[in-house]
Amino acid sequence: MNITGSYTFDAPPQAVWDLLIDIDAVAACLPGCESMDPIGDNKYRVVLTMGIAAITGRYEGTVEMRDLEPPCSYRLVVEGRGKPGFVTGGGAISLTASDGGTRVTVDGTVQVGGTIARVGQRLIGSVAKMMMDRFFACLQQRLTHPA
Amino acid sequence: MSTRIFGSGIRRREDPRLITGTATYTDDLTLPRMVHAAMLRSPHAHARITSIDTSNAAAAAGVVAVYTHADTVGALQPTPCAWLLPDSDLKVATYHGLAKDVVRYVGDLVAVLVAEDRYAAEDALELIEVDYEPLPAVIDPEQAAKDGAPQLHDEIPRNQAFHWTVAGGDIDAAFEQAEVVVSDRIIQQRLIPNAMETRAALASYTTATGELTLWNTTQNPHIVRFLMSGVCGLGEDKIRVVAPEVGGGFGSKLAVYPADFVTVFCSMRLGRPVKWTETRSENYQATTHGRDHVQQVELAAKKDGTITGLRCTVYAGMGAYLSTAAPGIPTILHGLMLSGPYTLPAVKEDVYGTYTNGTPVDAYRGAGRPEATFMLERMMDLLAAELEMDPVDVRKKNLIPKFDDGHEVITTLSYDSGDYPAALDKVLAHADYAGLRATQAKGPINGTYLGLGLANYVEMCGLGPSQVAGAIGFQGGLWESAIVRFHPSGKVHVFIGASPHGQGEETTFAQIVSSELGVDPNDVKVFHGDTDMTPMGWGTYGSRTTAVGGAALALTARKIRDKAKVIAAHLLEAAVEDMDYEDGKFFVKGAPDQHKTITDIALMANVAWNMPEGVEAGLEASTFYDPPNFTFPFGTHLAVVEVEAETGVVTLTRYIALDDCGPQINPVIVEGQVHGGVVQGIGQALWEEAVYDEGGQLVTGSMLDYALPRADMLPDIEVLSTVTPSPHHPIGVKGVGEAGTIGSTVAVYNAVIDALRPLGVTSIRMPLTPERVWQAIQQAKG
Repeated sequence: MNITGSYTFDAPPQAVWDLLIDIDAVAACLPGCESMDPIGDNKYRVVLTMGIAAITGRYEGTVEMRDLEPPCSYRLVVEGRGKPGFVTGGGAISLTASDGGTRVTVDGTVQVGGTIARVGQRLIGSVAKMMMDRFFACLQQRLTHPA
Repeated sequence: MSTRIFGSGIRRREDPRLITGTATYTDDLTLPRMVHAAMLRSPHAHARITSIDTSNAAAAAGVVAVYTHADTVGALQPTPCAWLLPDSDLKVATYHGLAKDVVRYVGDLVAVLVAEDRYAAEDALELIEVDYEPLPAVIDPEQAAKDGAPQLHDEIPRNQAFHWTVAGGDIDAAFEQAEVVVSDRIIQQRLIPNAMETRAALASYTTATGELTLWNTTQNPHIVRFLMSGVCGLGEDKIRVVAPEVGGGFGSKLAVYPADFVTVFCSMRLGRPVKWTETRSENYQATTHGRDHVQQVELAAKKDGTITGLRCTVYAGMGAYLSTAAPGIPTILHGLMLSGPYTLPAVKEDVYGTYTNGTPVDAYRGAGRPEATFMLERMMDLLAAELEMDPVDVRKKNLIPKFDDGHEVITTLSYDSGDYPAALDKVLAHADYAGLRATQAKGPINGTYLGLGLANYVEMCGLGPSQVAGAIGFQGGLWESAIVRFHPSGKVHVFIGASPHGQGEETTFAQIVSSELGVDPNDVKVFHGDTDMTPMGWGTYGSRTTAVGGAALALTARKIRDKAKVIAAHLLEAAVEDMDYEDGKFFVKGAPDQHKTITDIALMANVAWNMPEGVEAGLEASTFYDPPNFTFPFGTHLAVVEVEAETGVVTLTRYIALDDCGPQINPVIVEGQVHGGVVQGIGQALWEEAVYDEGGQLVTGSMLDYALPRADMLPDIEVLSTVTPSPHHPIGVKGVGEAGTIGSTVAVYNAVIDALRPLGVTSIRMPLTPERVWQAIQQAKG
């Protein structure tokens, strides 16, 4: 399943880039994120609680940032699993300067298995989009009103 | 034969316990020291297991044991396939009880966990840590056969489980000389059987005696015992299999499953009773599915509508492993039925059974025959359209005329009896077919199009002669057995080998005994489904319980009658040759007032105070009945639909089902069977489909997404019948369990296409959801 999105920030690409690789900011903005701990180069162990339709569950997995080209692009590789099933996904994230700000585009795919695939498949696209929207809205908020 | 009881729609004696919720199913049973199993199933369609860590799960509260494949080595043989199709290059993949190294479908068993209660078992299941390395998956049976497709089993090239062929007549000449050829590509989508009761097993192994009792929701307890013996290494004498109340099966409880064997393994290992009951989610993933054919079909004919040849290639998805009867379904039960009720001079079918990363596919109500009927009846409508003939006229041109005692068709089967034109005519008259066509000719009303869909069918039932079973690779016999035992008071116990599970044989079999011997049907109790109590039998499938088991019972009752007549003659001081029998009374010819009833005889035979010379005490008999041929029920179905072109919504406005199953023991039960079957067939046409995503995830994994028919989606079903007895059957009956399903899918499909003909639509992929119908209309518009 493909997931795409586009978000604008009132800040230059470098500032947005710094925010995107700031793990504290990412952990704080990722909906349902309980912890995010480094386990290697640009690789993190993540614990996340997420609800899709009637299926709420806790997922453990890894997030890895690859092919970092600051402040232009990187790839995100996500793997997670929990009682409700497994999630694997990846995406290309690009930053481009635009009208004095930055446009961030996300082009990703997600695969799920287990109960979430069986029962929640219809909703996964919209849940993933909603989570991504919330994540970027939170980051935009942080940029505007730094903690 | 008494006509009052035979043919009477008396109420099903099964129903009070079923409708009051007091029936006992496997899951209702509780034994002392019983523990509960939960199954860990693969969330991946295809993956290598790189590690399994059960330590956290094993240490959790209430957990008794956790087992993986390594624990079962030497104790559990692979799950067998019991239909070893000959002359087909059959390759049976090893189907371990618990997966070894690789999982091949979502639902493949990885581990079993046993705990003191079900909740602890389910909770601890998620503590088992399995690392998978995902592998590419393939779901479509035709894609699976192509070069470069993901390979499921190393030793089986191109995922080909078998290649089976049926051929007769000169098919090449038929197509070379054809005046007209029609063809279609038909997808018989995957279906999920949805029995009301999910699968369950309660295994109780006693270490001290080495004996196992297994309560199992199954259609064939004796086959379970037979296979369990081989897989678990116990003597058949040490195994008792009981099928308590069984809440439907439709073929899905014919198979013997890894989870059954694994449950028994746990009980043997622990020396405690172990119960496993499938959740509905598990049922969707791990209980066998049905259909899954990709069919390429072409029909050769003359311009006057006479058909001359049928040629087809079918890719039949088997899922990841071969289930118990799987290879026989899209071949023997499908390809041999391709002549249907028509005179077909030439036929050729190639069936490729392919392994895919889906749930194993096995028999599902109709099992092969709906898929054959669909092909043939679809071709009939396409031919009619091509020749601008009425679909009725094309069919009438080709129907086999009435026959009473044998008719051989090109696929080598010999049909027993049939009157197909009479069935068709009766439906046409009942429906006012001409009137409906006249209404249709007036054109659509407010954008709603009327369509009529016909299906004639013949099915092979009453499986079947055991000699044939051997020849076609079925790893068992196909006879049935019955014991009839009269108690001193004249009450009767009947023990049958077949194992009904909802079809009402406790009632109809009492009616058979009552009709043959004149006892009150309420004095006849029918026992089934317990291998320690009943004689051997081969189970309930292929509409065979009454067709084969009923024959065994009728013949047994006649043996009782013969013995009773000898005793009656003795008591009336007459010669046996001078005796007559009518409605339960034995009397000297011409003197019916002086008679002995079967109840009188039962008392005398049991006390044995005054028996004829050389006649044994007791009034009991048994029969092992091996049928000389299959039975061939037939019928005609007509569906009337309205299709709204703007929305693609199909409304089924009338459904007429004529089924000729021979004489009807209980017409109310026959009607119920037809209703159920028809609805399942309509479900395939309009709503049901097991959908996998491109990665092999089952996305219709619950009733939220898998659309089962509901009462409010259906019209009243108008059930008709004709009665053509089977000439080779002791009471002429043919079987009716699957009849409704066989004609109904294509009848509805044909009706929808018929409605949309003015719009140029010729083919739509099932199920015919509003979206698909609407899309087809848009495409036809161009």
